[in-house]
Amino acid sequence: MTWWRRRSDRLDDEMQQHIDFETEQNIAAGMPPGEARSAALRKFGNVSLAKEESREVWGWLWLERLWQDTVYGLRGLVHTPGSTIVALLSLMLGIGASTSLFSVIYGVLIAPYPYKNPDQIWAPAVISPKEPSNGWHQYRRRELLAIRNLPGVATAMATTYESTLLTGTDSPESFYGVLVTGNAFDFLGVKPLIGRTIEPFDIRPDGTPEPVVVLNYRFWQRKFNGDSNAIGQKLILNDVPRTVIGVMPPRFGWFTDDAFWLPMGMDLADETPLNAIVRLRPGITKEVAEQQLQSLNVQLAAEKPQNFPKGGFRSTLLNYLDITVASGAMKSSLHLLLVAVGFLLLIACVNVANLQLARTTARAREIAVRLSVGASRPRLIRQLLTESILLSVLGGALGILFAIGATRAIAALMPDFYKPNEARITMNVYVLVFSLAVSLVTGILFGLTPAFRCSRPDLAGTLKDGGRGAVGSASGQKVRGWLVAAEVALSVILLAGASLAIRSFAQLSQIDPGFQPQKTLMVDVPLPPKRYATLERRNTFARSLLESVSGLPGVEAAALGNGGMPFGGPRSAYSIDGQLPAEDRRIVVSFISSDYPRALGITLKRGRTLTAQEVADGTHVALINQTAAKLWTAGESPIGRRIRINLLSNPGRPQLLVPTGVTPDVTIVGILGDTTNAGLREATLPGVYVPYTLLAPPSRVLALRTFGDPMTVLNAVRQKVRELDKDQPLSQPITLKEILGFQTVQPRFNMALFSTFAALGLALAAIGIYSVISYGVAQRMHEIGVRMALGARRGDVLAIVLRMVAKVAAIGLAIGLVGSMALERIVRFQVFAATSFDAIALAGIVVVLSIVALLAAWLPARRAARLDPVAALRHEA
Amino acid sequence: MDLLQGTLDLLVLQTLAAGSAHGHAIAQSIESRSKEILQVGHGSLYPALQRLLKQGLILADDGQSDNNRKARFYRLTAKGRRRLLLETSKWREFSTAIGYILTPPSGETN
Repeated sequence: MTWWRRRSDRLDDEMQQHIDFETEQNIAAGMPPGEARSAALRKFGNVSLAKEESREVWGWLWLERLWQDTVYGLRGLVHTPGSTIVALLSLMLGIGASTSLFSVIYGVLIAPYPYKNPDQIWAPAVISPKEPSNGWHQYRRRELLAIRNLPGVATAMATTYESTLLTGTDSPESFYGVLVTGNAFDFLGVKPLIGRTIEPFDIRPDGTPEPVVVLNYRFWQRKFNGDSNAIGQKLILNDVPRTVIGVMPPRFGWFTDDAFWLPMGMDLADETPLNAIVRLRPGITKEVAEQQLQSLNVQLAAEKPQNFPKGGFRSTLLNYLDITVASGAMKSSLHLLLVAVGFLLLIACVNVANLQLARTTARAREIAVRLSVGASRPRLIRQLLTESILLSVLGGALGILFAIGATRAIAALMPDFYKPNEARITMNVYVLVFSLAVSLVTGILFGLTPAFRCSRPDLAGTLKDGGRGAVGSASGQKVRGWLVAAEVALSVILLAGASLAIRSFAQLSQIDPGFQPQKTLMVDVPLPPKRYATLERRNTFARSLLESVSGLPGVEAAALGNGGMPFGGPRSAYSIDGQLPAEDRRIVVSFISSDYPRALGITLKRGRTLTAQEVADGTHVALINQTAAKLWTAGESPIGRRIRINLLSNPGRPQLLVPTGVTPDVTIVGILGDTTNAGLREATLPGVYVPYTLLAPPSRVLALRTFGDPMTVLNAVRQKVRELDKDQPLSQPITLKEILGFQTVQPRFNMALFSTFAALGLALAAIGIYSVISYGVAQRMHEIGVRMALGARRGDVLAIVLRMVAKVAAIGLAIGLVGSMALERIVRFQVFAATSFDAIALAGIVVVLSIVALLAAWLPARRAARLDPVAALRHEA
Repeated sequence: MDLLQGTLDLLVLQTLAAGSAHGHAIAQSIESRSKEILQVGHGSLYPALQRLLKQGLILADDGQSDNNRKARFYRLTAKGRRRLLLETSKWREFSTAIGYILTPPSGETN
């Protein structure tokens, strides 16, 4: 800079000397000194212009001007703190909110998995018209080989899990170990953190698996403290020592987020159903693959009809992303949320545009003056541009900070069960850049409009216009009015979306699940199948457990049930005495102890419950729910009737044990109230409750209704279990209330997101209304002063301001309501089934918006009403 | 009479062809040689000088003025001399052409 300074100074000196020479010459010619100097100056012309033009030749002027403009722009921003703060706030919220919300949506819903090309993973499904709920079809090992051989299938892998007991450590612990085919890790495309993954050679040619295990990151942290020496060590799982061969990275949780993966043996006689997924060969469309799958399924169904729905089916491929994260309602709400993010950004842009219009239009007169005294148009544009960029960059920086903070806050606050275990919420840089770019461009463009408008030759008009604020810039005010109306309309739509989300959540919360979720503890008691290999051993353990915990202090009622309860359980084919067998229909079977209805709080409608003796003896008696009672013709009481539950004689899985030589018929003794046994949002399925002694799975669920906090009895229960079997762990203690909570996760997520959106949208709209009204008031200051001088009262002045607000708000409301109605038609059936707008919701929106609009206009209106007429009239003088 | 746009550079080069001169002298020379018809805003001389310096057509040195004062003297470079010749001939052609157009053809005069 010193070199630049020196050159500049030298030029100044040179010019000064030039004038001196001229003056001397003039004096020599006989002029008086004063006149000589002014004549010289006249002859030289505009000294600063000459300097500036000379410097421009040097080519560094732009830097100097940039500096000047920046200083000038900063001064301008500081000079109007109100509008600067509002503009910065608007940019910050717009950029920050849209970025962080999109980041959450992206992390949780769009890219929740660490797998290679997760959108190319397909799950074979079989759809039968009679069993619409049948989805992802489960194949047997033999069938998996056939799927692999389909010409359209590039690769196929399968997963199942088994209850696995870890012993040989301080205390025995039970896990769900995940069994995967040898190609699983290659299929998913995830590399291990250390060691190696399961490979095809981990399954010997004869189909037996090698005793190896790959650890989940959390398991490794917990059991080995993250020590890399874990590789090569032995773990005793279900009494078999297995070698640790690898540890997966933290962001990998295929079917488990706290256990391990084991190679799946390929004993082709094993009939355990597997979850199979496939990837297609390049160039093979989904439709072609589905045709191949259909012909294979038809062939498989001919060999093993019991594995397929009766009476015809259709084979499809479901996208893995669709069925796991963005399934059904989720996908539509995802789209809706993305639209909402867009709206938010749009509102923010409208605000920025509006504020820029207001601030620069207010300076129309200054600009006109500068143009008329000879400032060049490009120079003026450059100046305005600098100021807009300055504002936008400051706002953008704040926006980035806000986005980082908000994303972190959301990620920290979001409960774990809201998101898939592999989802990571990190700030999405692409979206940040996008929203930054959009808001900055908006700010800059709208900051420039007055420069273009004022550069029209009609300087005189602008000068006059600016001189008399009463006229205002009518067209500018109109544009701003429309922008704010658009903003109001957008926030109406967001509010409407939020109201739908809130209502759909409220409706779901009001659904009576049919049981009492309060004060009920549920614990899994997974018995190692090999140590408890017989029906008798399992049932004896179950009975002793039930007896020992029933007497615990604090326990009101104790009952045994099966996995999946209360929202599911095994489904079985059934037939009713005196009716044609209904092969394609299924009934939900629950295996219970006598106190089950009392422990879960299910009401008895008719008949009686099961007695302890019946349960202990394994008597073939049953309770049914009200839905099942409708299977009998009206007027005919099901009590005393018999129903055949196929599952009781043929459970289909080797680990489910049944007494030998039983008939699967049970006699109905009572009818229980309906529970939501297929999930809170689904219709209740027919259900039947039979004594747990009729079928022994390795794992049962213990349900305890307590007098106080259910978690307080947990330790006593654990103690009792240890007394019965010192190697027997409990797993997954959870309250019934929490299980119920899982069912409302999705609508709660919708509600939270939409409400946040709507609140932010409302805040931005309020900012918009505030800015346009306060600007309008400033523009009409002179007019208001004249009116007050002529006798207008404060009330009249308030009325003027309120009219401005009312017009904008009314137009916005009208457009917004019409828009939400249109949108509602689209989303109602997809996202918020069974909810629709009602008069209360609409009225609520109108009230909320009106209040916000009035609040936003309050400050400027009060300013106008308190105006001193004399000061107002002087305002423009 | 004001200068035509862009002709100032040519006049400065022409003035300097006679020998080096400082800013004030150049302005004086242009005025006197045009018989006071051309009025150069002296200030506009300086951007022109900066332009010529940047193009390498002239050079600037510090020197002593007639009345023994320090001043910046400008002189033509070889490149400047070539440019002067080129521009001069172009200007001649141009003014001849304009002259033809502005002069009424002899046949049409009454």
